[in-house]
Amino acid sequence: MADTTISQEDFLKFREFFYRKTGIHFDDSKRYFVDKRLIERIVATESVTFRSYFVMLRFETSGEELQALTNLMTVNETYFFREEYQFKCLVNTLLPEIITSKKEGQLLRIWSVPSSSGEEAYSIAIYLLEYWPGINHWDVEIISSDIDTKILAQARNGDYSARSVEKLPAYFLEKYFRRKGDAYQISDDLKQAVEFTKVNLMKPEDVRPYRGFDIIFCRNLLIYFDDLSRRTAADTFFDALNPGGFLCLGHSESMSRISSLYQTRKFADSVVYQKSKEAQ
Amino acid sequence: MPLIKQHISKSIEQDQRKRERDCTSLELQLSDPSSAARRWAARDLISCPEATGALVLQLQQEDDSSVREIILTTLTQLGDELAVASLVGYLRSEDVALRNEAIEAMKLLPDEVAPIMGKLLIDPDPDVRISAVNILESLRHRQVEEWLTKVIEEDPHVNVCATAVDLLGEVGTTSAQEALEKLKTRFPDEPYISFAADLALKRIRST
Repeated sequence: MADTTISQEDFLKFREFFYRKTGIHFDDSKRYFVDKRLIERIVATESVTFRSYFVMLRFETSGEELQALTNLMTVNETYFFREEYQFKCLVNTLLPEIITSKKEGQLLRIWSVPSSSGEEAYSIAIYLLEYWPGINHWDVEIISSDIDTKILAQARNGDYSARSVEKLPAYFLEKYFRRKGDAYQISDDLKQAVEFTKVNLMKPEDVRPYRGFDIIFCRNLLIYFDDLSRRTAADTFFDALNPGGFLCLGHSESMSRISSLYQTRKFADSVVYQKSKEAQ
Repeated sequence: MPLIKQHISKSIEQDQRKRERDCTSLELQLSDPSSAARRWAARDLISCPEATGALVLQLQQEDDSSVREIILTTLTQLGDELAVASLVGYLRSEDVALRNEAIEAMKLLPDEVAPIMGKLLIDPDPDVRISAVNILESLRHRQVEEWLTKVIEEDPHVNVCATAVDLLGEVGTTSAQEALEKLKTRFPDEPYISFAADLALKRIRST
C-alpha cells in the first residue's frame, strides 16, 4: 500500500520544483490544497511514496505526469474582470506609455489569447470604455484568438452565466448585458467591438499574420504547455509585438523562466514583459 | 464606439510575405541585415528538416540575442543528430550565454541527449562534464540517478562530483547510498563533499 505521507521537507522540495517548472508558487497556507492533490496523483500513479512519485515526476520522459499534476493544481475557469489588477495596469500605465510613441490617428492593437469563451476580451473592452479617457481620442482594435472553434462560437455568441459575471458591478451588467432568464448576453455593441479568430500558437502559418500588436494578454495558458511549446509561444509573441509592446501573463506565470527576449517591467499594479523599444 | 474591428481574417487572406518562403530563400535570409527578417527565417525553417546546418552556421556568427534564441528554439524542435551535435559543441564555447542556452536547449531533448550523455560525462574537459550534470538537473530520463551515481563513483574532479552530489540529494534513492558513502573517502580533504554527501544521505534515508 502506498505511503502517502508528505513531510514539510517534501512539501518544500516539491514547491521549489513546481515553481521552477511552472512559475506557480504555493505559499504555506496552500499546504492542504497541495498535499491533497499530490496524494491524489501518488495514488493514481500507484507510486509507493512521495519520493518515488517525485523522482518519476522529475524524470519521466513524456512529461505527461507533470501536465496531469499541473492541470490538477490550476483552476481552469474564466470570468469577467478576472485578475483585474492587470486591466488597471493596462489603463493606468501601459496604454499611457504606448501612446507616447504613437502618432495621432494611429491604431492601438490588443491581442487576447486564448479567448476561451470571451470573458477576457470583453472585459478589456469594458475596462477601456469605462476607465481609460484616451478611448475618446484613440481607436483600439481588440482581437481574441483560440484554437477551439466551439469555444470561439460561444465567445461570439456572448452568453454568460450569473457566476461568470458576478465580479461586475450591477451598473455594468445593466449597461453592457441583456438579461436572458438566469443568464446574461453581452450587448451587440461589444460583440461588434471584438474580433474572434482561430489560431494555433504552435503553427507558424497560423501565427504569421498576427503582427503589429501593442499589448498581448496571454494569461494562464503557458502553464499548460511543455517547456519547448512555452518557448515557441514566447518567440511568437515577440514578433507579434511592436517594439516597446507589452506582454501580460497570468499572475502565477513568469517569462524569466521561459525566454530571455523580454524586459521585465514592475509596475504598481502588475509585472509585465516588454519587447525592447530598440528591437526590430 | 472607438473600439473597431479591422477583420483580421481579411489580413490573413492578404498576408503577402515580402520574401520568398522556400527553404533555399529562408536559409539565405538567415544573413539578412534585418534581425526581424532573420528571426522569421529561423522560425519558418522549422518546415525545412535539411536546414540544421545553415542554422548552426548562423548561430555561430549571430550576435543578436533575439535571433539566437529563435535559432536555438528551431534547432531544439528539429532535434536531429546535427542539431544535438552542434549543441554539444556550444558546451565548449567561451561565450557563457551561448553555453547556458545550449544547456537549456539540451534539457528539452531527453531522447536525443540520452544516447550521448555517457560520453559527455567522461569528456576530458571538466567544464563540459559539469555542464552535462547541469543538463541532468532537468532532463526527463529514467537513467538520471544511474548517471549521477557513476559520476560520483568515477569522476576524478571534485567540482564535477560536487555538482552531481547536490543533485543526488534531490533525486537519489537508496541505490545511491553506497556510492555516496564511498565518495567521502574519495575526497577526504574536501569538507564540502563530506557535508553534501551526508546531506544527500540524510534526505534519502528520511524518505
